[in-house]
Parts: sequence; structure tokens; C-alpha cells
Amino acid sequence: MKRDPFRPSPRAEVDDEIRFHLEMRVRELIQQGYSPEDARAMAEERFGPVRPIQATLLDSTRRRRHREHRVEVFRQLAQDAGYALRAFRKNPGFAVAAIATLALGVGAALAVFTVVNGVLVRPLPYREPARLGMIWITSTNPDGTTSDLPLTSGFYSDIARESKQFERMAAFRSWPYSMAAPGSTEQEQVAGARVTPGLFEVLGVRPMLGTVFRSEDAVPGGPRVAVVSHDLWRRRFGADRAIIGRQVILGGESFTVVGVMPPGFAFPRGAELPAAFQFALRTDVWTPLAFDSTELRDYGLMNLSAVGKLPPRVTRLSAESELNTLMHNFLAANAPQVKLGYHVVSLVDQAGRPVKRGLLILLGAVFCLLLIASANVASLLVARVTNRQRELAVRAALGAGRRRIAGQLITENLVLAAAGTAGGVLISLWATRVMIALVPGSMPRADDIGLDWRVILVAALVALVGGVVFGLAASLSMSWKRLAGTLHAGDTRSTGPTSHRYGRRALVAVEVALSLILLIGAALLTRTFVALHQVETGFDATGVLTAGVGLPVPGRFNPAADGPEWSRKLNEIAARLNASPGIIAAGAVSSLPLSGAMEGGGLQIVGEALPPPGQGLQAQYNVVVGDYFAAAGIRVLAGRSFDGRDDEPGRRSIIINRELAVRHFQSPANAVGREVRSTFDFTRGLAPRVIVGVVDDVKQIALDEAPVIQVYVPESQLTYPGLAFLIRTRGDPLGALPAVRQAATAVDPLATINEVRTMEDVVSQSLARQRFSMTLIGIFAGLALVLAIVGLYGVLSLLVGQRRREIGVRLALGARPGDVTRLVLGEGVRVLAMGVFLGVGGAFVLTRVLRALLYGISTTDAVTYVGAALIVSIVALMATWVPARRAARVDPRTVLIAD
Amino acid sequence: MPRLPTLDLLQGTLDLLVLKTLSWGPAHGYSVARWIQQLTDDVLRVGEGSLYPALHRLEERGWVESDWRRSENNRRAKFYRLTPAGRAQFRTESQVWSRFSTAIAKVLEAGEQPV
Repeated sequence: MKRDPFRPSPRAEVDDEIRFHLEMRVRELIQQGYSPEDARAMAEERFGPVRPIQATLLDSTRRRRHREHRVEVFRQLAQDAGYALRAFRKNPGFAVAAIATLALGVGAALAVFTVVNGVLVRPLPYREPARLGMIWITSTNPDGTTSDLPLTSGFYSDIARESKQFERMAAFRSWPYSMAAPGSTEQEQVAGARVTPGLFEVLGVRPMLGTVFRSEDAVPGGPRVAVVSHDLWRRRFGADRAIIGRQVILGGESFTVVGVMPPGFAFPRGAELPAAFQFALRTDVWTPLAFDSTELRDYGLMNLSAVGKLPPRVTRLSAESELNTLMHNFLAANAPQVKLGYHVVSLVDQAGRPVKRGLLILLGAVFCLLLIASANVASLLVARVTNRQRELAVRAALGAGRRRIAGQLITENLVLAAAGTAGGVLISLWATRVMIALVPGSMPRADDIGLDWRVILVAALVALVGGVVFGLAASLSMSWKRLAGTLHAGDTRSTGPTSHRYGRRALVAVEVALSLILLIGAALLTRTFVALHQVETGFDATGVLTAGVGLPVPGRFNPAADGPEWSRKLNEIAARLNASPGIIAAGAVSSLPLSGAMEGGGLQIVGEALPPPGQGLQAQYNVVVGDYFAAAGIRVLAGRSFDGRDDEPGRRSIIINRELAVRHFQSPANAVGREVRSTFDFTRGLAPRVIVGVVDDVKQIALDEAPVIQVYVPESQLTYPGLAFLIRTRGDPLGALPAVRQAATAVDPLATINEVRTMEDVVSQSLARQRFSMTLIGIFAGLALVLAIVGLYGVLSLLVGQRRREIGVRLALGARPGDVTRLVLGEGVRVLAMGVFLGVGGAFVLTRVLRALLYGISTTDAVTYVGAALIVSIVALMATWVPARRAARVDPRTVLIAD
Repeated sequence: MPRLPTLDLLQGTLDLLVLKTLSWGPAHGYSVARWIQQLTDDVLRVGEGSLYPALHRLEERGWVESDWRRSENNRRAKFYRLTPAGRAQFRTESQVWSRFSTAIAKVLEAGEQPV
């Protein structure tokens, strides 16, 4: 903004005003006949004390100047913005192209940022979430890695009692309940958790209605009370505020509802904890978790998750070392050969851990896209300034200073950037939803993802930085010195100073490079995805339906007493299904393949020397019912599958997988008839089991896992109250669902059916995160390529347009059209070559971050690199061809006469 | 010549007088002072300086605006004039003032104590 250089300072202005007054008074008094000295003295006397008045006037004058300045700035801004809008209206093609490009880049970037913000940055919806930590037991594996394991009731009770560092601690475990809708007998499975009463205080969440548990609720034989989620309360109880004190039947037992939690509270949320613990996506009902005297001393059954709250200024590490001291003392006294420790993970890290790397890579990819979009817009702007040189020269001639014109260019671009960002915010609102929908149920903290002040702030920053950078780019690309000359020369032949042409070409080369990097990244992820699809799963998913069937567990979990009943019922359901028409085979398993769920235990081979402590065999074990192997399509390699013989009392049989057979018995056939002991036989001690068969290796957690030892035991020998049924059908697998319902309710009216899916869906869901990264980076790479090609095309078209005269002269002097085409093509190829060179180099360095996400392919796979470079080159050459042909068709006469 | 009471007491009054003089047209501070003196029989003789903070205050409120011009004797002087908002303000304030002074006069002229 321009200052009036003749304007007096506020002090001079105030002095002048006062002096004028005094002079006028003196003059009048002299006219009345006083002497000049007397007149002066009288005038000052009548005016009163000058200094305080001077100070007051100075203040008000300064304030006024300030205000005027502000008003002037706003006036200019409004003028510039209005001017910008008029300019955009005059040239809508440019405005639409620039705004759409920006909106696309900003929209994609904001969408990814919204997800990253929700999953990794935003505080969890609990009180003082930074002070919350999950507590795990760690054990060191033979290969030196450590794994986090759940606590046992004994370990938890010990640390809850003895730890001084934690302010409060709570334990919880998944506990699915069957619940009948009021006035109906149909059972629905609700996601439940048994929790120690302190959980709600640890998380700092108060009930919306009623109360939460008191400590006297959590004693063995205590009252049967339940707290329900806001969602369940609305869905199943019609949001009835009189629910408190009412009875609800959970798993066949009557519970008194004592509280309703506020909206949004669903801790524990399944996607935030390791899948193996089998928490549902959102928890809907909570019941007290109590330990009886046996459980207080149980150090074997790891089934509890624990969360603790640290006081302010106590670090995670000091709490961890305190727990480790407790563990050390306990093990020294009770089991000196065992090596275990504790691990405290902040709740935020725990939740974001499985997706953190993928999300950050995605953020990097989308940032590349944003850069490309911005480079395109900048390139458009520079082109536009060159074409507007004349208009700006007129403005300069009419008295606009250099600062005023630069200011106007920046305002213009701020308007542009603001419009692009606004479009981007709209796109991101939609794109965020699409992104979450790509990974149903497996994005941690999906409920916490949404627009918040951080996203708005980033959007505003992008708009501001974009506007200023574009404006500076535009005003820097102007040749101020030639601005005056432009006008009288009527110069339209300018091609701009060579340095600017190079600048624009470098910009496009960088765009090509960035899009090539993204393309290579996308190709690597796609090939990983394809490779994973070709992995042998060990089972055959086609035509198979799966449905979880849960039997009610009244009172406490007591397999010794209730087991035979569960076993009889589950076998009965399997038998009924196997007899149904259209069903080829039906069976059930405790942990569904590729679902991420698994249970582990120790194994020892009879006849082999006892391994040193802590280095025994670890096996994934599964309990099966019915014709499981036939239903799942798991090949039996030797021996037989389970049958009626294994249900005879006193029988102890086991089926092992190929991995164990090959590693310890040389071959599957050799293994049959040998014996193993298993530590997961919590009801029947350590008597050996006879290997009756060997089956293929099955992928349990993920497709990219290495083969592990897996064993199977029949339900009749190791009882479980709920299993996942697999039903192999002749037709549409979902057609078997009514048969499953019928069989289950016929055997137990309180049985629940849950998680009905086809096995093909299970396989597909196990790849959800890979598909997520692959799809998004693929989309970003595609957009980036399109933008880069548009940029290349734009720069070459502009070049041809500006050099029409030169081309005309060349043609007039005898150059053939082919020469001209080569000239332009050469220009394009140089830019392209530079871009490909930079891109391949960049990808070589940057794709290293992808290593953990890749399977069956190296980050420097030559075929991928060459293929991606070829695709980019071919598309870029096509974009170069059009302006090159246009150049060859220039008519020398028209061009030269027009001059 | 009675001494004037404190400025505080007079502030609102002074503002009103300034608005009134400016309602005749633009004027610099000195002529505003002279007009007020003439019309008030020289009541505002002492402390003419306090007129200027009043003028600036009115300007900050947006009732008056100013610019520098040549005065009648060809010297640069700061001229003040009423804004439309100032004119409206003057009308309201003068009505309030007349009502107020009528009321006070009535009380002072009352012969009997009200029952």
C-alpha cells in the first residue's frame, strides 16, 4: 500500500492544529489593542494546559491513522478480489482448469490427512488419553523378537494390587452374549466385555443414565448387573429412559441394567486391539469381571487385556520398569526358568500401530499428487502472465506501482487458491467416506475420523501458502523492466526470457518424475497383491459359508462341568447340517482361517529330549467339530481325519500340520501314530496325544505369513462353547444359512448365529489393508500421470504458440514440416527424459519405505521400473505428438503477413 | 466571571455545543471556539484547549470528519464537518437536552412542595 509522502507525522499535525489556534487568538487580541507579548500570554492562558491536551490529541490522531490504514488495505483487497473475479470471468477456461486441478490435489490430500488425523493424531475420546496405556506381558521368541501377550488373572491381580506407579488399572476381556429382543425369542449376538469396575474411571467416562459398576459388584457371586451402550439402548430398547433397573436376558441369565453409557463410547473397539483377542468392532454391553480364589492364582491362562492410567509426570517407561521388577521378583520365587516381562503401550500408539506405516506412506504419496497439481497450476499461471503482459503494462502506465501489481497478482491467486481449496474440502468429505468404506471394520478408530479444526487449519494453510506461492511465481515470472517497453512496441512475439522457459520445463520434468515414482509404487503394491492372491491358503474357499455359532455360557466359564454338554450340542448341530440336502460337508473350528484369530500353546514331542526352558515348540491350536477338514477343503496328507472313534471316552488324539510333520518326523506318513504332549489341555493335564492324521498348512493370520506349527483336537476332547461353522455347498453358499439357523436353534434355542460370511469374503477381508494401500496409491498414481501429461502438453502447446513466427520463418527458409515436428518433439523428449531419469532415481530411494508392505517382490524390481517408465514415456510422447504436428502445419504466409 | 465547573460535568454538553456549531457548516477549531464563546457570552473562555479533545472524540465516533484546508487568512488549518451520522446524533441529543432542561427548569420554578 502506498503512503502519501507529503503527509505530516501525527505529532506535526497535532502541533500545527494547536499552533493555528493560538496564532488566530493572538492576532485577534492584537487587533483589539493588546501588545504582542500580552496577547501571547493571554492566548496561552485561555487555551489552558497544552501538554495533556497535546498528548490526548496525539493518541486520537494515531488511532485514526491506524484505522484509515486498515480501511485502505481492505479497500484494495476488495478491489483486487473483484478485479480477479472479473479476470476469471473473462477467461473461464483458465479459471476452471486451475481451480479443478487444485481441488483435485487438495481434495485427495485433505482426505488422506483427515484419516491420518483421526487415526494417529486426534486424542482418543477418553479423559486425558495421553496418560492411558495398555499393559501386556512380553515373551521373547526363539528368534529374538518379542510378542505382546494378554495377562492372566493372577498376573493382573498382582500388579493391580502392588503397582504404585499407576493411578488406576482395569482389566477386560471379550465376552459375546446372546440377547433376546424384548418380546421376541430370537437371539441376537451382542458384543460384550467383562470388565473390572475401575475401567470406566480409568477412561474417565461417566454413564449418561444410571451408574456404572461399584467394586462390590465385582466379587464372585456378586449381583448380575449390566451397563449398555447408547447405541444398543437406542437400537434395542427404543431409547427408553426407564430402562435403569429393568431386567435383560444375556446368555440365558437375567441381568439388571444399571447404566447407559454416553453416545460414542464403545471401548474396547476391536480394530484398535490385536485381532487375536476377538473384540467386536464396538462393544455394546459391559458386565463385571470378578476373580475367584483359583483365578487370583492363575498364571497360565492368558485371556485378559489391561489398561492403566498414569499420574501426570510419570512416564510409560518408569511404570514399565516398576512392573518388570514385580515380574522379576515373582518369577524368581516361583518359576526361575521362565522369562517374561511387561510392556506398556500408550493407547493411541496401540490403536494406530497396525496402520501407521501404510497411512504415512499414503500421506507421502498424496503429497506428491498435491505437488504435481500445484506445479500444473503454477505453470498455467506463468503462461497466463506472459499472455497478460500487455494488460499489466497498461495498469503500470496508469500509475500502479510494482508493489501494487504484485499485490494484485497475489490477491488474484489467493482467490484462486481459496476456490480450489473450497472445492478440495468438498471432494475430501466424500473421499474420506469412500476410503473408510474400502476397509470395512478394519480401520482402527474409524469412528474418530472426521472434519475437525486440524483439518480446517491444514486446508486454510494450503490455500494461503498456495495463493502466496502462486502469486510470487506469477510476479517473479514477469519481466518488470520490459513492462514499459511492452506497451509501445505492441510486442506479441515474446517467448519470454529463456530462463523462464527453462523454469517451466523443469517444473514439468519434476511432475513427470513424481508421477513415475507414484506409478512404480502403485505397481509394486499391485504385484504384491497379485502375489498374495496366488499364495496357497491351504484351504478351498469356493462355495463355503461360515457362520459363528455360540452356545450360552451361564455363570462362570467352566469347561470341566459344562464341556460335555457343549460338545454334544455342537456335534449334534454338525451332524444335522451334514444330513441336510445341498450340503457337501459341514464342520466347525475355534479360530477361522485367515480371520486373524488364533490361539497358541506349547507342544512337546514324546521321545524327543526336553528343550531348554523358553525354547519349546509353540503351536497354533484349533478345536474342531464334525467334518471340518472336508468342509474347509484342507487336504489330509496322511492318516485320517477325526471320526466317531475320537469321541470315545478316554481317547486322546491330535491332527498335526505338514510343517510339524516335516520338521520333526521327516514326513507326514512317518508322523502318524507318534505322540505329543500339549500345554493347552487345561482340563486334562499333560497325558500324551496320539497323532491320527497330518493335514496341509493353513494361513491363519495373514496370507504373507511363513508356515507355522498347527495342531487340531476334537471338541469332544477339548471343549469350547462357540465355534465357527464352515458349510461347503453345491450352490450359492449363502443359501445354506437357513439350514444353519434351523440346526442351531433346534439343538439349543439360546444359540446365537453371528459373523455370517462366505469364506471368499474372509479371504478378501484379510487383504483389506493391502487393497486399501494399493487402490489409493493406484488412484493417486493415475491422477498424477494425467496431471503430468496435461502439464507437458500445456507447456509444449504454449511453446509452439509462442514460436509460431520463428517456425514460420524456418519453413519459409526451406525447412521441411518434418524438421519442425522433430524440433518440438525433441523439446518434449528432453523434458521427458529428464523426468524419467529423476523419477527412476527417486523411486529407487523412496520405494524403500514400502518394503514392509511388499510380498514376493523387491523394491527395485527391474521389470516394474522399466514397465512404469515405458508407460509414462508412451503416454508423454502421445501428448507431445499433438503440438508437434500442429507446429508442422503452421502456414508461413499467414504468420509472416500477420506481423 | 464565574469559574466553570469541572470538565467531566460539561463533556456531554460540550459535545452537543460542538455538534450545534458544526451544523452550520465546516469550521476549524478556532471558529468553533469563538462561536461557542459568543453564543454563551464567554462562558467557555477558560480552557479553550479542551475543545480539541472533544472534536477528536467526535471524529473517532464517526460524527465528525476533518481535512486540512486553507483558512480565510490563507493558512493551513484543520476543518471539521458533520457526517450524516453526526447530524442524526445532533438531532437526538438536542431533543434529549431540551426535555432535560425543561424538566430541570420546571423543578426549579416549582413554588410548592408536591404532596
